[in-house]
Amino acid sequence: MKSAANRPAHPGEGDPRLDDAAPQASGGAPEEHPESLGEQTVAFRAIRDDDVVSVEDDEPVRDEQDESVQDDEASPDGPGEDGDAAAPGGGDEGADAGDAESSGEDDAAPEPSIRPAADDDGRDDGEVESPAEDDAAPELSIRPAGSGEEDSGADESAEGGDGSEDEDASEDGDATPGLSIRPAGSGEDSGADESAEDDDPAEEDEDAFWPTAAVSDGARVREAPVPEEVSEALTRALTALRESVTGLSFGLDLPGVEEARRAQAEILTQLDDYVIPRIHMSTAPALIVVAGSTGAGKSTLLNTLANARVSATGVRRPTTATPVLACHPDDHEWFAKGDLLGGLERLEAPSHKTGTDGLVLVSTERLPQSVALLDTPDIDSVVETHHEIAHRMLDAADLWIFVTTAARYADAPAWRLLRLAKERGARLAIVLSRVPPKSREVVTKHFVRMLTEYGLGDVERFVINESKVTDGMLPDHEVTELRLWLAELSVDDQRRAQAVRSTLTGVLDSFRTRVPALARHLEAQVAFRTELRRDVDAAYAAAMVEIDEATGDGSLLRGEVLARWQDFTGSGDLMRTLHLRRPGRFAGKAGHQGPERLSALKTALRTALESVIVSAAQRAAEEAVARWLNRPGAGETLAATPGLGRPSEDFVRRAGRTVAAWQEHIVQLIRTEGVTKRTVARLVSFDVESLALIFAIGLLGYGTAEIEVAGKGALPQRLLHALLGAESLRNISAKARNDLRARIGMLFDDETSRYIQALDSAGIPDEAAATRLYQATYNLEVAR
Amino acid sequence: MTTVGTTPTQTRQGLGSRLAALTRIVELGPGRVDPKLLTESGQLLLRAGDRLKLSSDHTVVALAGGTGSGKSSLFNSISGLDLSPTGVRRPTTARTHACVWGLEGAGPLLDWLQIQWRHRFARASALDKGESRLHGLILLDLPDHDSIRALTDTEADRLIQVADLVVWVLDPQKYADASTHRRYVTELAGHDAVTVFVLNQADRLAPEELAECVADLDDLLRREGVENPVIVTTSAVTGKGVDNLKAVLADTVSRRRAAIQRLEADLDRLTRRLGKVMPDDDAPPPPAAIDDARRIGLTDALCDAVGVPAVGEAMENVYGVRSVEWVGWPYARWGKRLRRDPLSSLRLGDLKDEIRGLTGGSVSAQPAEVDNAIQALADGLTTGMHEAWQNGVRDAARSRSAQLPQVLSEELTEVAPSLDRVPAWWRLLLVWQYLLVLLFVAGLVWVGTALAYGVFEIGTLPESLEMFGDAASLPWVGLMMLSVLGLGVLTAVASRNVVVLGAANERDRLEREMRRRIGSVAEGMVIEPVERELARYNEFYGAMRSVRG
Repeated sequence: MKSAANRPAHPGEGDPRLDDAAPQASGGAPEEHPESLGEQTVAFRAIRDDDVVSVEDDEPVRDEQDESVQDDEASPDGPGEDGDAAAPGGGDEGADAGDAESSGEDDAAPEPSIRPAADDDGRDDGEVESPAEDDAAPELSIRPAGSGEEDSGADESAEGGDGSEDEDASEDGDATPGLSIRPAGSGEDSGADESAEDDDPAEEDEDAFWPTAAVSDGARVREAPVPEEVSEALTRALTALRESVTGLSFGLDLPGVEEARRAQAEILTQLDDYVIPRIHMSTAPALIVVAGSTGAGKSTLLNTLANARVSATGVRRPTTATPVLACHPDDHEWFAKGDLLGGLERLEAPSHKTGTDGLVLVSTERLPQSVALLDTPDIDSVVETHHEIAHRMLDAADLWIFVTTAARYADAPAWRLLRLAKERGARLAIVLSRVPPKSREVVTKHFVRMLTEYGLGDVERFVINESKVTDGMLPDHEVTELRLWLAELSVDDQRRAQAVRSTLTGVLDSFRTRVPALARHLEAQVAFRTELRRDVDAAYAAAMVEIDEATGDGSLLRGEVLARWQDFTGSGDLMRTLHLRRPGRFAGKAGHQGPERLSALKTALRTALESVIVSAAQRAAEEAVARWLNRPGAGETLAATPGLGRPSEDFVRRAGRTVAAWQEHIVQLIRTEGVTKRTVARLVSFDVESLALIFAIGLLGYGTAEIEVAGKGALPQRLLHALLGAESLRNISAKARNDLRARIGMLFDDETSRYIQALDSAGIPDEAAATRLYQATYNLEVAR
Repeated sequence: MTTVGTTPTQTRQGLGSRLAALTRIVELGPGRVDPKLLTESGQLLLRAGDRLKLSSDHTVVALAGGTGSGKSSLFNSISGLDLSPTGVRRPTTARTHACVWGLEGAGPLLDWLQIQWRHRFARASALDKGESRLHGLILLDLPDHDSIRALTDTEADRLIQVADLVVWVLDPQKYADASTHRRYVTELAGHDAVTVFVLNQADRLAPEELAECVADLDDLLRREGVENPVIVTTSAVTGKGVDNLKAVLADTVSRRRAAIQRLEADLDRLTRRLGKVMPDDDAPPPPAAIDDARRIGLTDALCDAVGVPAVGEAMENVYGVRSVEWVGWPYARWGKRLRRDPLSSLRLGDLKDEIRGLTGGSVSAQPAEVDNAIQALADGLTTGMHEAWQNGVRDAARSRSAQLPQVLSEELTEVAPSLDRVPAWWRLLLVWQYLLVLLFVAGLVWVGTALAYGVFEIGTLPESLEMFGDAASLPWVGLMMLSVLGLGVLTAVASRNVVVLGAANERDRLEREMRRRIGSVAEGMVIEPVERELARYNEFYGAMRSVRG
């Protein structure tokens, strides 16, 4: 039994024990079930008498073992030792200590099946309890594990040596969740038990003895097993899910991104606050969250049930800002150390500074054990942070108590919440409060009809009359029904476990749709980003085509370029490019080239080409922004990034440099590759610079467009053809054209990178994340 | 409620001019202002027009609030009759009820408010017991806005938007509901003068609790931007405080200003939002027209796009070169021809003809450079403008940029110099030069004859030609030949100079002419649309200023 109790607390180390437990479970006689609890009860009562003795005996031993446990935890082979310690202990129990062991098996037996473990206890309770024992019933349900420990004391007294091994195991189990609290607690525990004996009312008075909870608490953890393999696999699946949800970033402001971000945060907090802790101990105290509109009387209700002013009430709306958790002292520690809602700081009293990260924890004897009530801020006041807190609490709830009033029961926010509860499959109870007695009949009927129409007709309902509130509390008789319901829940482990289980299942079910919804949004983001990129690329590709056309069909050779070309040719400079090879005269002639017309033509050509590029880039930038603006959502914010609608600032300069570099490149090409035909070379030499220019003019389409040319071909082509030969000319043309394209392409790449930067600054969605999410959801389903 | 020291008529006029300005904004706005805002402006204009046309003697007061706050009870309590059904079921009221004090003229107003006939009630003055002070009040009991029914029914929403005075009926339980505050109160902040808050169900609280509640509500409202919240506590059940509310209503009704104040507040709010979209503080005082510097800049840029200086230069150079063929010294020309030509040696002799055949004649504009010129103009004009207007000006400038290069080319082709033009005096000079050559040749013949017959005496010349054989004429003939040569050179040099001078003049003329034509084309195709857009811009911001009042 003790080894079984250890498991949930050591998820990582569970595997070796799993092997131990399985044969134990199957080997142990299932027929013992009905008997076991009864016997256990007997044993428990018997031990109480011995308690003083056993505790005093235990004291030194425990300290030692505490240390040894800590050692175990620290040493790498700790788990192995633990396993060893547990295995013989179990064996011994099987042989010797029938009482303790049988109860252990009792818990272990249902493990392979998914049926809640508490079922057994509940059934046993039902069979064993006589109506007369009703008061003791909650005690019973809490005690078994405690009795287990004390049981070991009994074993010890009976058998000596074996007992210490049992001790070891049980210590282990308790120490892990609350190692530091434990030693003191165990000491006082016995004291409390001693003074309290069987006397329940006496114990109620002893508010100070919270540490009692440490023992019974550990006990409850122990009785709470979700079947192990399931729990293991579930934990793994959930951790994986958590990881894949954590990393998501929704950078682009697509429609619905806010919802997605919120859903992501909700899923994360729900996993942390509720699901992961809950998987480990499904029948630990149930957390009942009281939610509802502002002014509905949630705090008043809690105060009344707790019979103390635990949560502030008042006329100010909204009243409650920090959630208040009220529980039985026995459960206090469970919530104090709490994995459940672990992200929230536990407070003694409400304070305004903590904002959204606090949780006031109070304990009161008036509440039954195993059920804790959580008073939440409202869901509909002007303070929006309250809504978030309330929803966070609801996400962590095992049961929801929804409070509304006679004045509010038709409010839209209230029904939104009810719909949420229905969607999540959460267990729900509805309190209609502040009902004027004289209209009680009418209002209740109407409300019930609305509920029925809404498909919530079978939900448990409580009606509280409007009555005088004194000291933040209603008259006690108003809440009797509710109190009874809570008590039942507290006593009836089976029902409670069922409720807890169904809510948990509901939440896990909801992941089936919520996580894929996230994934879908993520996919939309990825797709959207691709589309935005495509927009930019398309815009610049169009610009490139535009440039190609302008440089191919001669439309570039207009205006100044044309005039300069006419100047260049008409004034005879073109002819002067060529020289007859005549020894002695060549050197002198070369310098006489008219440089001013040549450079003017060169400049004109550069300017023209540059302006074609700049104008194309301008249009491309506008086009890209326009395309983005047409995309709903993200496009607008991105397009608002300053300067995207026009080329970058030094674009003109860079375009000029690019063209100049290209012109240089052509000169180089002519010089290196423009091998003159040998027949020509003997006769004629030429000026490389001029020829390069003539070549450029020809390349850019001189003679192809409007410029009428008489004769067979355009002038530059024919000249070049004659000088360089057809093949060489083709070669150089191809190279020069490609070079120009490449250079402009580079220029445009720089331009597009601005858009991509703007996209990236919004966050790059991970393309694989959606797949991971689907995978995680699938794994979770498999694990269930 | 604040009192402003203006008479209703004055306010009405002020409102009228502001609404007129808003009309201008709605007209000028499309494409520049968020369409949603324009739609709202249009709706406000419609509503204002309707409301101002209808009875100004009546004041529409709407009781609004959440379900269960006691709107209907308060309605009944003010009217003193059980007109609107009250109940404990939520939501109770589904249709708006209206009660009119002083029915005459209220009909069209109620029609406009779309109140059903069977839900209209009138307090005829005869029935009034000293309640003439409420004369002119139209009290509306709205359905709630926060129940599940309200999700599909926007009646409350609609009437809250059009009522002259909105009375928010709150209760201690619901006074801080987000559905009231976020959707309405915060949105309608600035409507202080036409909003009253009633904390109903005051009987449910102890006096000190009530005080705390009111203080809290006041605080909350101030935080939401309601500067001077009017809070009245009432209890429809006990009737306490209802008289206070009546007094507040009577005050509003008797001043007959709520309708205008409401519209003003709506207008203020819209103006603020418009101002946020179109901030005009940092908008530069936009140039009403395009100044000369910018015009010249544009013309220069367009001239460059056409290549005006280059065209002129080319013309000058080509003329210079070509004139040599006509007016040059023939001997120099012949000497040059004797030299071997690289093209001919490449067997590309016909290229030479082609080059010579270059006629020029067409002047065309470079489209990309035209684009950039326009872009530069738009950029220069719009620095500091709102982006929407920047785009507007740019689009206006570009509106005809597609045709512009073509139009420019066509316009300039008329004046384009043809490079192969040969002036008549060139031909004369050519004749003259050939004449001189002829004279030189004649001189040569003379010299030959004189040498042969006069010096070497190889024979005798016929009598008639004797003078040619006279050796004594030799010095004179030599002198003549020299002067003929010299005259040829002189003529060539002089005419060359004249050609250059003429070409320079021609170039100047040409450039001026081209500039003029480019300027006029730019005026029509670029400047004019841009100026229209600028005028629109100015008018828009003028309207923005006047709508602010």
